[in-house]
Amino acid sequence: MSLTIYEVVSLLSAVIAVLMLGSKSLPLQVSLFSVQIWLITGETVFFAYQYNHWEFYGVALILFLQRAVFVPLFLERILREIHVSRDPGMILPAPLTMHLSILFFGLSFFVAQNFPAPGPGGIVVATATASISHLFSGIVMMLTRRLALSQIIGFLTIENGVYLFALTQTNGLPVLIEMAVLFDILGAVMIGGVLVFGIKRSFEHIDVSQLKDLKH
Amino acid sequence: MYAIKDARLAGTFVVLGAWIQLLSLICVTFPLFTFGAKTIFVCADFFLTPFDAAFVVLTSAVAACAFTHGHIFFEGELVGSDPPTSANVRVNYACAMFFVLAMYGVYFCKNLGYLWVCVESTTLLSAPLVYFSRTRHALEATWKYLIICSVGISFALLGTLFIFASAQHGAVSGGTLRVTELIEAASKLDPKLLRFGFIFCFLGYGTKCGMFPLHSWLPDAHSEAPAPSSALLSGSLLNCALFAIFQIGQIVSASGNRLSSEFTLWSGTVTVIAASLFLIRQHALKRLFAYSSIENVGVMLVAIGLNSGWLFFLQALNHSIAKVSLFLLSGNIVQATGSKSLSDQSGLMASAPVWAVLLALSVFAGTGAPPFGTFLSEWLILMRAADLHYYVNVVLLIIGVSLSFIAVCMHVGKVIFGTRNPHLQCFRPLASSAIPALLVVCSLFLGLALGPLMWPLMWGSSSDPRGNNVTWRLDGENWQ
Repeated sequence: MSLTIYEVVSLLSAVIAVLMLGSKSLPLQVSLFSVQIWLITGETVFFAYQYNHWEFYGVALILFLQRAVFVPLFLERILREIHVSRDPGMILPAPLTMHLSILFFGLSFFVAQNFPAPGPGGIVVATATASISHLFSGIVMMLTRRLALSQIIGFLTIENGVYLFALTQTNGLPVLIEMAVLFDILGAVMIGGVLVFGIKRSFEHIDVSQLKDLKH
Repeated sequence: MYAIKDARLAGTFVVLGAWIQLLSLICVTFPLFTFGAKTIFVCADFFLTPFDAAFVVLTSAVAACAFTHGHIFFEGELVGSDPPTSANVRVNYACAMFFVLAMYGVYFCKNLGYLWVCVESTTLLSAPLVYFSRTRHALEATWKYLIICSVGISFALLGTLFIFASAQHGAVSGGTLRVTELIEAASKLDPKLLRFGFIFCFLGYGTKCGMFPLHSWLPDAHSEAPAPSSALLSGSLLNCALFAIFQIGQIVSASGNRLSSEFTLWSGTVTVIAASLFLIRQHALKRLFAYSSIENVGVMLVAIGLNSGWLFFLQALNHSIAKVSLFLLSGNIVQATGSKSLSDQSGLMASAPVWAVLLALSVFAGTGAPPFGTFLSEWLILMRAADLHYYVNVVLLIIGVSLSFIAVCMHVGKVIFGTRNPHLQCFRPLASSAIPALLVVCSLFLGLALGPLMWPLMWGSSSDPRGNNVTWRLDGENWQ
């Protein structure tokens, strides 16, 4: 099966998301997240060019500035301030979570084959695989990592999967809604960042698995 | 509000603003209820029907009551032993006002994309309310709330995309997210994508409304937030998430698929049973009422599953009134005793008899005892479920509601009676009883006076979840 550049870029982004799970180093995870966004931005620009949706150049620009520039700088600043650089993992060690994510990548391929083709084009399986794999990678990261910052990165990876799904399977949501969604997610990240500082100050760590004082 | 440096002055402006807002909304929406106007139209993506307007007015009323009581509550906090900073209080007021605005947006939006944006905004704007006290427990509760609800809402966005994709496949050229267009073209929507869309949206918005088993954030957030914020969260935020589920359920039902009705009905029933079991063993007053909110969410889900919007609204109205009263009173008690634990709160009747009587009446109102309005709404929901032959659900709901009534009364009974707590120091007991007293009277009025008047509104022609046309007469006899 031959792949177009469109599909290769989306699959590469999903592979980067899987690779991210194999690392215990938080700065590396932030860098790999940034690379994901570069690829997704490139996908958006390609989509805008191919289907003459000029407004998506604006979406690509906002996405790039927010998630490839602002969010990594914000997360790196948090890492410098709280002096944390490694996440040892929780239920599974980091390398095993990467292997689990690879399995889910394969599962995504089988799930993607059930989707009907979008209107123009007909590119479905590869890009749907990539977007579903992003979702699974983000979920695995949120479930298997201890540190609050890893959970934020996992959440953003899920959002990348949802965005990629919107772009490739539905030819993009209306632009105003896309912009509003991007700013909402940015707000969530910023509030999450403020809470991470608060957790570090109050608990002397950012291990969310230790936050269990409130009982049923 | 944040620009006003004096927290008390900011509170005064907030209270005035909230009541002016409520009166303005009643004036603006009045034609929808009386003069036969069908909508208040802003654009194709934003308009109000009478049903939406009812929720907007309810939200505004809850906000007005919460802000009014909050003014007295925060005055008490500022003179207490561990006062919050003035900045904390002002940030709380500012975020609460934007939070209420976002909730209005949920009812105005007739576009699933903007609806999602508004629901996510309510999460972001209410997180600072939960984090008010800046304690470790508040931090833990806020983190759980933000992460669980944000991930849940991400799934709701995925569900929205599936619904958009289902519209693109032959139903509407280019696809649409407008609710009216989706309902009109419902029979042409791709069924597989629509099913995926409903399931993900239900999971996402269900997380936001505290449906079992996605409820773990709710007791923590509602108990750690200050009492007026808890009242807002329980009395209006849950209604927003349920409203989103209702909107999407309407689209799926219009396509002829019974998945949304059956799924919602059973989820509601399971939520009621689970919450009633959790209520048996509780140790903190506000957590007790938070689990009671989960139980009422289950009842509202049952109403949505029975395809009755007005029964859903009636239950939401009665629950909001009772629950706001309960949380405001629990805030008074926690403030007076300095403890959230049930074991530290006893002998309220001896120390603060007005609060004790209001608490008892509010508990009866909140748990569905007659003659309060909640009894009427729950009774009507059970009647409708029985007439549509969902007997198993009716039996389970009766068991769940009865169990929760017994559990809540048992715990609150220990608070009201027993040895007097010598450390209890009431702050402005009469002023802090005014809003709960008003709400108890409203609940009583809804139960006694409005019952017969509500029946024609609820029982017009409708179709049951099985697609049969059902017409009801005033005397309750049903025709087909």
